[in-house]
Amino acid sequence: MVRTVSVTDKTIQVKVFPARLLQPETAEKLLNEIDRVKGVLRMLIGGKNLPRKITCGPGTGADVNHPDMRVIHVGDQAFELHVMVGHVIVEVEDESILEPLKQACERGLPFSFEFRRGFFIKKKATLTDYGKYGFRSRTDERINLDDERMLGMIDPHAKPEERFCIIGAEEES
Amino acid sequence: MAYKPQYYPGNTSVAENRRKHMSNNVEKLRDISDEDLTAILGHRAPGSDYPSTHPPLAEMGEPECSVREVVEPTPGAKAGDRIRYSQFSDSMYNAPSTPYWRSYHAAINFRGVDPGTLSGRQVNEMRERDMEAYTKRQAETEMTDWGLSGLRGCTVHGHSLRLQEDGTMFDMLDRRRLEGDSIVMDKDQVGVPIDRKVNLGKPMSEAEAAKRTTFYRVDNVAFRSDAEVVEHVQTVWERRTRYGFKPQA
Repeated sequence: MVRTVSVTDKTIQVKVFPARLLQPETAEKLLNEIDRVKGVLRMLIGGKNLPRKITCGPGTGADVNHPDMRVIHVGDQAFELHVMVGHVIVEVEDESILEPLKQACERGLPFSFEFRRGFFIKKKATLTDYGKYGFRSRTDERINLDDERMLGMIDPHAKPEERFCIIGAEEES
Repeated sequence: MAYKPQYYPGNTSVAENRRKHMSNNVEKLRDISDEDLTAILGHRAPGSDYPSTHPPLAEMGEPECSVREVVEPTPGAKAGDRIRYSQFSDSMYNAPSTPYWRSYHAAINFRGVDPGTLSGRQVNEMRERDMEAYTKRQAETEMTDWGLSGLRGCTVHGHSLRLQEDGTMFDMLDRRRLEGDSIVMDKDQVGVPIDRKVNLGKPMSEAEAAKRTTFYRVDNVAFRSDAEVVEHVQTVWERRTRYGFKPQA
């Protein structure tokens, strides 16, 4: 029997939108607080781009060296921030996680924030994803990905190793 | 009785600040040396001569022209300076000036200006030495809070963004930043590093910025709280609609 396209479980997504753009220290603290909440599946960091080089004008090609482009540690992973963090989208297992998540945000942020529930990260593979990853086999039409949580986390054309990390993989295995 | 320009209606602090900007009756808050200003503008090396695009007018032998006799050229035009620009970006979180008011200030109080007014930034082209005088006036006075405004020749992004945690406007190219309690700038307006750290003084506190701003905001002074301004704006729009679109009707 040909298997149909897999759909992830009914999860809940929340956008945490602080009143200010976050410095790396605050972003690190917030992300760690969120990471400690049991039932968090995915986090997506968004914000204002911090380029390595100037891309327009007479200074094109000069290094920017933005002081906020720093390596931060979240859980057991370290990665370099490419943005000044403006919001964090969090996906959790079910409604019971929302309150602990909100409390984690209150601990992590020294100022007010919006806590909006909505649909922010796609849960199903789209044509572009199939174009990139393909089917698992001739008889299995699920997308050819080991971990489907990757879907919607990065642009299909971007390199995942620069923009994607799996936290707590060692604990799971 | 001598004529006194009225500039702008309204009884709120924002209307009063708008009148101040238009009339150039602005308070000087800081000193920026000519060399520092030249460095952050980035058009020529500090201390060097002004490059010229044509010989001084006195040497050119201008044709006889009644208009040329009446209109005194600006110092930059007289010397044959190049046309150069300065561009400011202002945060919508109560920055003291707005692009429109920077343009009004330039057009009313300076000559030989070519202001370009955009939603979040304002660029002005002038003869180089005239442009430096104009920029210095805006940079040293209450028209600019260097925490909430920036001199940005390119990558002006910041006007409509949330402020950073330290209360300053986001700058993608990190041209100026808060160090201690002062704003310093170590790149020119297009992001090329310069050989000095220019101290631009202390940023305004939130309360002071709210007092000096020309932005109407619901969380500070709401536009609709100023009945005279609302009436003025409605009158302008009504007349523009009635007569501006089809004056012969």
